Parts: sequence; C-alpha cells; structure tokens
Amino acid sequence: MSEYPSPIRLHKQLDAIWRTPPGLARLSSVNHTILGKRFMVLALVFFAIGGLLSMLIRAQLATPNSAFLGPEIYNQVFTMHGTVMMFLFAIPMFEGFAIYMLPKLLGARDLAFPRLTAYGFWCYLFGGSILIVAMLVGLAPNGGWFMYTPLSSRPYTPGINADVWLLGITFVEISAVTAAVELFVTILKMRAPGMALHRMPLFAWYMLVTAGMMIIGFPPLILGSILLELERAFDLPFFDPTRGGDPLLWQHLFWLFGHPEVYIIFLPAAGALSTIIPVFAQRPILGYRAIIAAIVAMAFLSFGLWVHHMFTVGIPHLALAFFSAASALVAIPTAVQIFAWIGTLASGRPRWDIPMLYIAGFFIVFVIGGLTGVMLAMVPFNTQAHDSYFVVAHLHYVLVGGFVFPMLAAIYHWLPHVSGRQSLYRLSVPAFWLILIGFNLTFFLMHLTGLMGMPRRISTYPSNWGWDWLNLLSSVGSFVLTIGFALVLADLVLQFRFGARFRRDPWQAGTLEWATATPPPTYNFASLPRIETRADQLHPGEIGPMLAGGGGYLGFARNGAQETLAVDIATGAVEHLIALPRRSYLPLWTAMATASFFLALLFKLYWLAPLGALATIALFLVWPVGLGAKVDRGPVDIGRGEAVPHDVEVPGNVTILANRTALVMDGTLFASLLFGGLFLLVVAPNWQRVGPLDLPIWLGILAALASGAGAGCTYVAGRVNRFGGSAYLLLLAAAIAQAMATILFVALMIAIPEPTAHAQRAVVFTGLGYAALHCALAALLASHGLWRMIMGYVSARRQTGLVLAWLWNGYALGVAILVLGLAWLLGNSGAGA
Amino acid sequence: MSQGTRHGLVRLVAGFAIWSIAFIVLYAAQALGCAYGWGAWHRPVLIVIYLFALAPLIWLSTRPRPDGTDAILPTAARWANRAALLASVLVFLPVTFASLCA
Amino acid sequence: MAPRFKTLALGATPLLLAGCSGELSTLDPAGPRAANLAVLWWVMLAGSVLLFAIVMVLFALAYLRTAWVTRITPAQWIIGGGLVLPIPVLVLLTGTALVLGEQLLPRGNAPIRIEAHAERWLWTFTYPDGHAVPDQTLHMPAGQPVDIVVTAEDVIHAFWVPRLGGKIDAIPGHTNVVRLEADKPGVYWGQCAEYCGEGHDGMQFRVEAHTTEEFAALMQGASH
Ligand code: HEM
Ligand SMILES: [Cu+2]
Ligand SMILES: [Cu+2]
Repeated sequence: MSEYPSPIRLHKQLDAIWRTPPGLARLSSVNHTILGKRFMVLALVFFAIGGLLSMLIRAQLATPNSAFLGPEIYNQVFTMHGTVMMFLFAIPMFEGFAIYMLPKLLGARDLAFPRLTAYGFWCYLFGGSILIVAMLVGLAPNGGWFMYTPLSSRPYTPGINADVWLLGITFVEISAVTAAVELFVTILKMRAPGMALHRMPLFAWYMLVTAGMMIIGFPPLILGSILLELERAFDLPFFDPTRGGDPLLWQHLFWLFGHPEVYIIFLPAAGALSTIIPVFAQRPILGYRAIIAAIVAMAFLSFGLWVHHMFTVGIPHLALAFFSAASALVAIPTAVQIFAWIGTLASGRPRWDIPMLYIAGFFIVFVIGGLTGVMLAMVPFNTQAHDSYFVVAHLHYVLVGGFVFPMLAAIYHWLPHVSGRQSLYRLSVPAFWLILIGFNLTFFLMHLTGLMGMPRRISTYPSNWGWDWLNLLSSVGSFVLTIGFALVLADLVLQFRFGARFRRDPWQAGTLEWATATPPPTYNFASLPRIETRADQLHPGEIGPMLAGGGGYLGFARNGAQETLAVDIATGAVEHLIALPRRSYLPLWTAMATASFFLALLFKLYWLAPLGALATIALFLVWPVGLGAKVDRGPVDIGRGEAVPHDVEVPGNVTILANRTALVMDGTLFASLLFGGLFLLVVAPNWQRVGPLDLPIWLGILAALASGAGAGCTYVAGRVNRFGGSAYLLLLAAAIAQAMATILFVALMIAIPEPTAHAQRAVVFTGLGYAALHCALAALLASHGLWRMIMGYVSARRQTGLVLAWLWNGYALGVAILVLGLAWLLGNSGAGA
Repeated sequence: MSQGTRHGLVRLVAGFAIWSIAFIVLYAAQALGCAYGWGAWHRPVLIVIYLFALAPLIWLSTRPRPDGTDAILPTAARWANRAALLASVLVFLPVTFASLCA
Repeated sequence: MAPRFKTLALGATPLLLAGCSGELSTLDPAGPRAANLAVLWWVMLAGSVLLFAIVMVLFALAYLRTAWVTRITPAQWIIGGGLVLPIPVLVLLTGTALVLGEQLLPRGNAPIRIEAHAERWLWTFTYPDGHAVPDQTLHMPAGQPVDIVVTAEDVIHAFWVPRLGGKIDAIPGHTNVVRLEADKPGVYWGQCAEYCGEGHDGMQFRVEAHTTEEFAALMQGASH
C-alpha cells in the first residue's frame, strides 16, 4: 500500500477540495451531507409547527360548543396542519433522508447534481416560509389541504389565502421535482463499481421506485395548481361549472397526485424498515426479489386508486368498482412486505434496541391503518365513513404508523452516523410508551367518533350527539403524545451532547454508509469500493479502513476536482468519471429570483412576474458556464489500474439522463392538461351550446412546420457533429425556427376571442401557451448548444449540448402537434355534442 | 449500456405498464360510452378490451423460468408480471357485471 | 330485515352498545339501507380484529422464537402471509361489497323523489310537483324508499343522514341521487359532510319520517 498516501494526508487533501468553509460561505454549500441534514432539520421544525397546530385543533375540540377558536381561525388551523404535515414535513423529510443516505449507501461521493440539491433546499425554505408568514399574519389558506374548488375559487375565497397555498406549495414542489430527478438519476448511474442493480440494497430500490412515482405523480398537482391559479388570477374558467368547467376536474387532478403521494411517503419509510430490520434480526432480509416485485406492484397500483377519495361524488358504479378493487389489491404487496419483515425477524436472531421498539410500534399502528384502509375501499361502507372522523383516524394511523414511527426508528438507528455518538436510552423508552399510548388514545377513539357521525373539519359541535367523551379523551391523548415527542427531542439533544463516541459500524450493519467515518467526512469515501456481493451484506468495519487508506478507486486528490464514478445502469460496470461542480452561490441567487417570481404573482404584481421568471432563466443559463471540457481527454486513470473517460465524452451521462427524465415529467404535466381538456369535453356541464372556435388554421400549420424545422435541424446537427462536420448554421436555423413557432403560437393565443368566456377557449388558450413556452425553450436550448459550440465545449465526442438541443426541440414538436390536435377537437365540440 | 441489461428494468415494469394502459383505456371507454350513449354496445366493447389486455399479460407471465445467479431481476420481474395479471383479472372483472352509467 | 341485523350487531358488542347509539350514529341504523352498511362494518371489524391478532401474534412469536416459527421457510412467509392469507379475504370482501353496492344504487324510479338543494349554509327541500314546506325539515314517508335528488348552489356540500343511508355529494353543475329509507316514522338528523366554509359545522337538518297517510296529507296542505 506504499503507493498510497497516509489516510490522514489523503483526508486532508480531499477535505480541502470538498469542504464548505464556515461563516457566511455556508450559504454556498452544495454538499449532500450538509443539505440532507438541513432538509431534515427544517422538516422537523415544520413537524413541530404542524404539531402545535394539531394541539390547537385538539384544544378546540376537547369540549362541545367551545369558543376558543372561531370557525375562521379553526379553518386556517386545520388546513395549515394538513398542508404543513404533508408538504412541508413528510415529503421534505424523506427527501432529506434520501439525500443524506443514498450516496453513502451506494458508494458515491455526492449526488448527481449537487447545485440542484441546494436550489431545491432554498425553494423549500422560501416556499415554506411564505406559508408560515401568511399564517402568522392571519392569511393562511383555509380551504382544507385538498383545496376543493369552487370553495377555493375566487368568488368563495376572495382573499389571497388560496393563492398562498397554490403558489407557496408549487414553489415548495420545485424541491420535490428536483429531488425526484436527481435521486432517480443518481440511483441508476452513481453506484460503486460492481454494484449491479440486483446487488443494490433494498433502500435504493425503494427510493428508485419512489423517485419514479414522484416523476409521474407530482405533475398533475402542479398542473392543477397552475390552472386554479390561472382561474383565480385571470378568470380563465377550468373549474367553474357555469362556464363549461367542472369542480370534479380539480378533484381528479388533485387525487391523481394525492393518492400516489401517500405511497410516495410510505415507500421511503418502508425502505428504512427493510434496512433496519435485518440489522436487528442479524440476518439478511428475507424475500429480496419478492420485495422488489411488491414495491413495483405497489407503485403502479397506487396510481389506480385515486377515485377512492371520490366515491361519493356520483361516479358510475363500474368506475367505482375499478378503483375499489385496486384499492383492496394494494393490500397484497403491503402484506408481502409485512410478512417478509416478520419472517426476517423470526428466522434470524432478533435483538431489541430502541429502533426495534419503534418498529414494533410501526407494526401495531400501521397494520390497523391498513385494515381500516381496506374497509374504506369498500364503496358502500365508504358512503358512511367518508369525510367523517373515521377517515381522520385512518389517515393518521397510516401516516403516523407508516411514516412517523419508521422515521423515529430511522432517527435512532442513523443518528449515531450523523453525530458520531451512541444513544443514551434514559429517555428513549418512556418517550416511546408515551407516543404509542398517546397516539392510540387520540386516534383509536376517532374511529368510533366518526362512525357516530362526526364529520371532519368542523370547528365545534353541540353536546347532544354523544361525541363529548370521545373528543375529550382524544384531546387528552394528543397531549400525552406531544409530551412523548418532546421527550424524543430532549433525548436527541442529549445524545448529541453526551452520547459515547464509537468507531465504525456500532450496530454491525451490512450496508456501505457505515463504512464512512462518523460523523461522515465531506467526501464520504477517501476511495470508492468495488462491490462483489449484495450490498446489504458487506462488512463496513473492514471495508472502511481500507477505503480510508485509499485502497479503492479514485483514492487520490486530482487537480482540485470533485471526482466520483458512474456505472452502467444494470451491470454496475464502471463507465465514466464525473467531475462534480464545486460549491457556489448560484443556487441561492437562482432560488431568490424564483422567489421574486412567486411573490410577484402572490401580490398580483403581474408586470414583475415575467422579470422574475426571466431572471431565473438567465441565472440558470449561468450554471453550466465553466463546466465541461474544451478538449477530448480520453480515458483517465481511476486507480486500481483502470481508466475511463470523463462524463462529457460519453453519450449516456447523467445530464442527458436527467433531461430525459425531466421530459418525462414535463410530458406527464402535458398529458394531464390533455386529460383535463378531454375530461371537460366529455363530462363537464354546459358544453351543449358552446359554438365552434374559429382559429386561423394556417397559423397553426405554420407553427407546427416551424417547430418541425427546428426539431429537424437539431437532429441533423447532432449527426453532422458526430461525423466531424460543422453544425453552427443548423443550430442557428433551429433557434430561429423555434422562435418563429413561439411567435405564431402566441399569435394564435391572441386570436382566441374572450378566453374567459368558456372552458373550451380557456383550455385551448392554455394549451397554446404551453406550446409557445416549449418552442421558446427549444429555441433557448438550441441557442445554448450553439453557444457551447462556439465556446469550444462541443466535439464529435463531447456532444451533450447538442443532444439536449435535440431532446427539447423534438419534444416541442410533439407538443405543437398535440396541442393543435386538442385545439381542433375542442374547437369543433360545440357543433357535434 | 447493452441491450440485454436494459431489458431487466423494462421487464420489471412491463406487466404493470400494460395494466396501466388497460386501466386508462377501460376507464375512458366507460366514460365515453356513457357520455355518447353507446347503449347495448357499451359492455361488449369493455369486455373485449378486458380480454385484449389479458392476452399479453398471460404471455408475459408464462415465459420460461429464468435461472443462474443473475436471475434475481428476471425472477422479480416474473412475479411482478404475474401480479399484474392477477391485478388485471380482478380489477377489471367488474366490466362483466357492474352498472355502467349509474 | 333491519331489526334482525340490529340485534345481531348489538349482540356482537355489548360493551360498545351504550356508546354507539346517537342521533347521527351510523351504528344505530333506522332503516334497511343504513342497517346493511352497519352490518358490513361489523363483519369487517370482526375480520380485521382476527387479522390484526394474527400479525401481532406472529410478530411476538418471532421474538419469543417459538420452535415452529423459526422453522417457517422464506417462501412460506411470503406466499402464505403475503398471498394465501390476504387474497381470498380481499376477493370475497370486495365481491360482496360490489354486489351490495349494486343493490344500493338508486335504480329504477322510487315512488317519491325529493329535491335537496344545498347552499351556504342551509338546505332547501322541494317535494314532487314543486311543493315546498317552509320549515327547513326534510319530510318523507316511512317504510318505503325515497330518492333524494341532491344539487348545490355555490360550493360542494354533501348530504348525509347517517341513520337512514350513506352520503352523496352536492356538486355545483351536477345532479346526484341517493336513496334513503326509514323503517318507522320519527325524527332523524342529517348534516353537511363536505367542508363548505365557515358555516360548515352548522349545516344540520331535521328529517321527519311520516306514515304514508300523514305524508300524503302534508303534501296536500303544502304550498306551491
Ligand atoms: C402530532 C399528532 C397529530 C395530531 C394530534 C393530529 C390531529 C389532527 C386532527 C384532529 C385532524 C382533523 C382536523 C379536522 O378535520 O378538523 C387532523 C387532520 C389532518 N392531519 Fe393530523 N394530527 C397529528 C399528526 C399528523 C401527521 C404526522 C400528519 C401527516 C404526516 C397529519 C396529517 C393530517 C392531515 C393531512 C389532515 C387533514 C387536514 C384536512 O382535513 O385538510 N397529522 N389532524
Ligand atoms: Cu388514498
Ligand atoms: Cu359543509
């Protein structure tokens, strides 16, 4: 090993490259360990806020005819409780957990797009702050966490309360979108050499599936929020039944996101369970293959359930039957996992420790939640239980059982990794019992309260319905629960302060994250391991020192570059070398520009909003400056006698994969818009008398041709470049053509008379706007490719810029054609139907 | 990335992708049939779509058993595809009896 | 058939008995449709208790390391617990619920249709031939099914009389129908179940079921 520097020297060299300096420079951090922790801490702060709000709810409902909070305040409180818990606690919490864990678990030094992680964090912080500030000044959203229209439309919520929700949450969702793309790409590409897909630890599988679900699941919500905000701000009718809209469209879009969302929250927690349980069973997880199949089944089935939130809206029984059956079936993959976990314990040598205590709590609470879920999936029973406290009980059993308990287990399991110190135990055990007992006292009784007829979301109730004692006990329980959470907090603080230090791998776990030093160094691994077996059955205690000594790949500091490796998606064979961007303030500035956009919309400064958007785009264009290479370098040494090319020289690099993923997401958003248009055409009231929409057809044809020319040029540009030719003119032509297409689509938008008159026009108008936006983006990407080429970043081997130009130009063409089809279909609807 | 390896992930989701498409098509056909009054044709159309969806799933689920150590993903894929078949049989079965438009 | 189910239900859980009754309680049904739903609940409750017990006992045995539990093979855990146990239960339950759902649909025309129109924050009821009774009470005949045609003026509400049947949403632009039936004449209570703004908690209404003759007389006397 003499050719390697000493571990200490290697540490110093690498740390100098990867570290975030103290002081204000912290704001420039892009490191996944730091950002993962920031995400989780902020999520826990929001958990505390959501918890306080729930205390207000329970205080108000403890006694009948209570005058503590009036209905106005109460409505804001329960809306904010649900919104904070779902969007500002649960989702960011698991994102932070995955951001912190995944590179370590997979044997990488960071995520694929560190600056994007930072940008996501700032969006989360700023968006969340908008909501909290609004609450403090008494303007919090008050339409419930699912914001049903028309209640949340302008006539019934004239103030900015609903805009705060729509804009604040959409702002926060940017962090979910970026995290989804980034985690997806990272899991597929950035693993330790040799870690084939079938050797990935289950947590990575869970997160891969979760990220995939987020890619399909979030766009419907984002689209719905955009449409509702358009309706509120500019009176474009999408949900107004008097003008051809339909409140049910909002429900479909919301729950198309909202149901998968629940599984998006559960799967990461289940991933944590599948990682922790084998450690305490002291044997590998049972049913690795069955669990993979089960999570795939769950992911898909969960997209076929959304109407079970809408069983009482008056949908034909056959349609209800599909969703009812799918909702019942999703219990099967859940059962597979539950029994795999119990079987793992039964066939191992199980031991108790604090994490196991919370896992026991998980089993109790989550199984009850699952069983009541099956009950609610039965349409006839649902007509009684829906919108009653039975549902409140069910949803908390599932969310607290399926997320909070596993996360508490995870915190106790991994906190030593974060802090480098072990648990203290004094407070952990009583805290657990308070939480378990308090939780069940609060929520178990609510099943009965609901069956006795108490609807959810009421601010008070008279004494004559027989709900008094149930509510009082629930309130008592909730305070016991809160004391339990407070004890956990105290316990964690004490652990950071007084916990005993330890060497590597205190639990004798078998996953790579325990091969780092603890607390983990900035670069995770001084060198990257080679994986020959399943990556949940390793010996971190032995691997760790070897890696720290530089015995793996990349065990050196080179040119001040943040280097890590990318592998073949399936086989895990080393494929290329990635040099990650260094720390930067750009994410912060870009997020601030984004914030100015959202705030301008919120305060109805509509002239300012485009400036905010332009500033955001301009800043994003600065991101790639200086990244990439101006010469072909060919394979470079990565240690252990191997050499691979840089990422810019391979066609399957993470940037291209991420853009493809982003296009899938964008495409889902577009598909949701098409669905919305067709849904209104087929189902919504007031479409009989709407006249045909006369648009200048030739303008549309020209626009499509222009966009097609752009797409064709970028495609040919890519080919010409690959064969060594010059593609400057082609890219210039593409940019010009797409710019023309943009103008033509805008002209078409202007040609629509009175877009606010009917949903038919509003949908076509919005669709054309979407097409215009994407032709503009295509022009931008073509120009960007041209610019990269002029700057010397493009060669026959370094073609990323051209591939991106082609991807977005091709997408724009597809959009152009489909939008024109939609316009034609809806435009002629009045005559036929 | 070689052709063969990419197949692993595709096979893993193939069955449920078919299930999803069938779900969308059936749900759409149910709504269209009610909106445009397909009358006596409505249910037969749905049943035909149902059977059409089952065919590829049956084919996927009965592919020969993979073996070897690298068979972890193919085995998982096989189970996922069988799950998709089961889900299709059960979830879409109501097209044979449930009320179409009420 | 309702009384029989009711005795069955009540017999099953003497402990909860006192707690379950109430003017808005779904567990205290006063008509055949609500009774069906209550039975479905009690059956599902019994099944759930059993399944919950099985899971908990297995979890406990895993720690107690009872010999036969440690001998269960991985395939037995996954196939037995994950497939054999839930699939028949779920298929049976969903099948039954779907058949029950079909039976509960308001199919064919019930002899009497009453319109319930929701607006923030009150209900207006209109009787056949446009009769109105100006007392904020839903009058209906007992002993026969009644269709309630539910519509909304402004935002979404939901019509729910827990002791007589399930709920249905009142959605602007849509017309929904729910069928109710009361066994006996008497006073029942209904409420809005879908959050509709500040007055949501006050949207309760009285339901009065009359004998057929009384109801006919009421309709005679009602204004146009
Ligand atoms: C800390 C203990 C908690 C208590 C005591 C509590 C209590 C409540 C209560 C009483 C309601 C019903 C309010 C109403 O309908 O008027 C409610 C609603 C809700 N809770 Fe919680 N909750 C807790 C934790 C959580 C957690 C951890 C989550 C999610 C991760 C959550 C998510 C929700 C949601 C989504 C709603 C629905 C809000 C709405 O109707 O718009 N809660 N909670
Ligand atoms: Cu759901
Ligand atoms: Cu209401």
